Amino acid sequence: MNDKIEAKNLSAQLQFRALGNPPSTLPNSAISNCCPGLEMDFRNAWKRIFVGIELHESSNFVVKVDPSAPELHELANNYQLMKVQGVPVMATATGPLIPDGPNVPLPDSDGDDALIPLEWSNVLAGVIYNSAGKLVECEFQSMDPPVRNLAFNLRVRNFFENAVIARDLLKPGELTQSLCSPWQNDYRECGCFYWAASRPDYVNVELSEDGNSIGHNWMQRDRTPETAKVYVSDDFLDERLLSYNDLFNGWEKALRFVIGNEDEPPIDGGPKK
Amino acid sequence: MLVQIQSANPAPSLEHRPSNFHLFDTGFGHHVLMVNGSRIFSIGADVAAQLGSAGDEIGVMQELGIYASPYIDDSVPSNLPVRSLSLAVAQKCNLACTYCYAQQGDFGGAPKEMPVEVADRSVDLLFSDAQAGERVHLSFLGGEPLTSRTVLRRATERAARIAASKRVHVGFSITTNGTLLTPEDGDFFEEHRFAVTVSLDGLETAHNALRPFKGGQPTFQRVLARVEPLLKLQRRMQVSVRATVTPLIRSLPETLNAFVELGFHSVGFSPLLSSSSGADEMTKEELRSMLKGMIACGEEFERRLYSGQRYPFLNMTNALQQLHQGSHRPYPCGAGAGYFGVSASGELFACHRFVEDPGGLLGDVDSGPDRSRQTAWLTERHVHRQEPCQSCWARYLCGGGCHHEVISRGRPACDYIRGWLDYCLQAYMRLLHECPEYFRPCAT
Repeated sequence: MNDKIEAKNLSAQLQFRALGNPPSTLPNSAISNCCPGLEMDFRNAWKRIFVGIELHESSNFVVKVDPSAPELHELANNYQLMKVQGVPVMATATGPLIPDGPNVPLPDSDGDDALIPLEWSNVLAGVIYNSAGKLVECEFQSMDPPVRNLAFNLRVRNFFENAVIARDLLKPGELTQSLCSPWQNDYRECGCFYWAASRPDYVNVELSEDGNSIGHNWMQRDRTPETAKVYVSDDFLDERLLSYNDLFNGWEKALRFVIGNEDEPPIDGGPKK
Repeated sequence: MLVQIQSANPAPSLEHRPSNFHLFDTGFGHHVLMVNGSRIFSIGADVAAQLGSAGDEIGVMQELGIYASPYIDDSVPSNLPVRSLSLAVAQKCNLACTYCYAQQGDFGGAPKEMPVEVADRSVDLLFSDAQAGERVHLSFLGGEPLTSRTVLRRATERAARIAASKRVHVGFSITTNGTLLTPEDGDFFEEHRFAVTVSLDGLETAHNALRPFKGGQPTFQRVLARVEPLLKLQRRMQVSVRATVTPLIRSLPETLNAFVELGFHSVGFSPLLSSSSGADEMTKEELRSMLKGMIACGEEFERRLYSGQRYPFLNMTNALQQLHQGSHRPYPCGAGAGYFGVSASGELFACHRFVEDPGGLLGDVDSGPDRSRQTAWLTERHVHRQEPCQSCWARYLCGGGCHHEVISRGRPACDYIRGWLDYCLQAYMRLLHECPEYFRPCAT
């Protein structure tokens, strides 16, 4: 019957669930957020907020430039958006390096201070509120040495079309294209213990009287009782850990439930060392 | 463009059942207002028939996909920051309006003027919880606030200074009888972007009968002469009319048109439901007549909009904005929540109308809101506690009606309010179809 019902005002549009969509497609009943989410990856909504360029959804890299705007073409050479209207959209990550330690700039994998993109819904809220349809100064920096800086006045797209995200910002399918895939890549990559609501990490743990512990990384291939209990950190190279291919080909055999802190017995046919 | 403006219903629907939705028709088809969340849908004839026969059955709404869990529950907001104050800078007036809630300006006591120290402390209270980027509002009422011009100006300038230093947005407004306005007032209001509301209760005959000077002399021509320089001056300020409607107003469309042509920024009507003297209160019969006049004004608004003209009929512009957003609220206004009326002696009342009324006393400017009294007030005034609002489809658009009027006289205007909203819903659907650009944000 929904095909004969059309949401007209803004509150109706916000709440309306299209025919065939499950309840989780409504923002207020979904886990969708910016990290990236279970039902949609909201970060995609910001990729085309500036006319003439397209940004990567999880960083501020310019990934596409409008072919009809030759003055912007240099931006396709590994440039990152750094500031909008003088306001930084990147920040140095700080925090304690050891438990209860002081907040210090955190290093990236090269040992430099880590620069992280700020969450766009917050950092660009003022831009869409005050400057939709207007030109704003955007500052970019080349990530390849030598460091080069460029600035352009780019027009801000309207974010909303009535109560919903404007068509110019998203193509069909883009809101879900970068979703987390928990049984595949993201069980390896996601270290935030967010999955769903948190995945096992440190398993088969034995506590000693002095408060220390030993155990296995849940992503280790071999977690039998005989396997030495040494937590293997993931450097994406160590073959003792499950690979992406292992997960793509047989996640249901490789990953096991953890009950009472103990692994389920291994399933025949699972990935071996 | 030919749009059938005349209501598709033969007469405005005054019925108020069922209570969870309201069906209405236009030349563009069938529509429904879902009371919960004030959501508006266009629907097919079969859906309209299904809803019409189902009454308030939730199962049918769920099946249709238009049921939603309640947007408004019984909970009462707590620890609300003060966001808006109206200062009764003068509890005195030079007019003797027959119906005045302030009883000719002095609220039933000796005439008073707010000491500057009280005004200062009021302004300080207004900014006490305001953070950078937030908005607060300071208004001046009375009595006639321009009989206490010095206090008004000092409070305004103090608020402007604090707002600048705290980077808080402050808005100013004044409601005046207009008889004391000067060109210098205009300059001051223009400088501070005031919303100036002038009380004009109809055209000359009606206005003079209701709003004479204390000596009995007429005021209409005096007000127009005093307002004229402000109308010419207004750029940053907005000079509007608020007309209290009594049986003395002969024609609302004629009145509206006359004020629009004089150059007022907007014109709004409000029926006299509660008169301190009991005189000139609108009866149900007179409210039926007023509804016809309001709809005639609304239809003129529609005609003007279709031909690309601005027509500043405030009741209509407010209603359309609220319907488009899907405004839904458990209270009719912010009275006693984020808004208080400050008496000349510095007590906080639920709003400007409750000044000196012990039933509306909710704190003072030194200590701020009395949280226990405020909670009791908001609990008592919640629309879920009002009858017959529980069974009314308009309850979240109306919020239960003006607290002051309801407490003084009950709810004689429910049919009028539903009839007006029913018309506005139809007009909204027509305008959304024919003039969608009217509802687009103007940021571009």
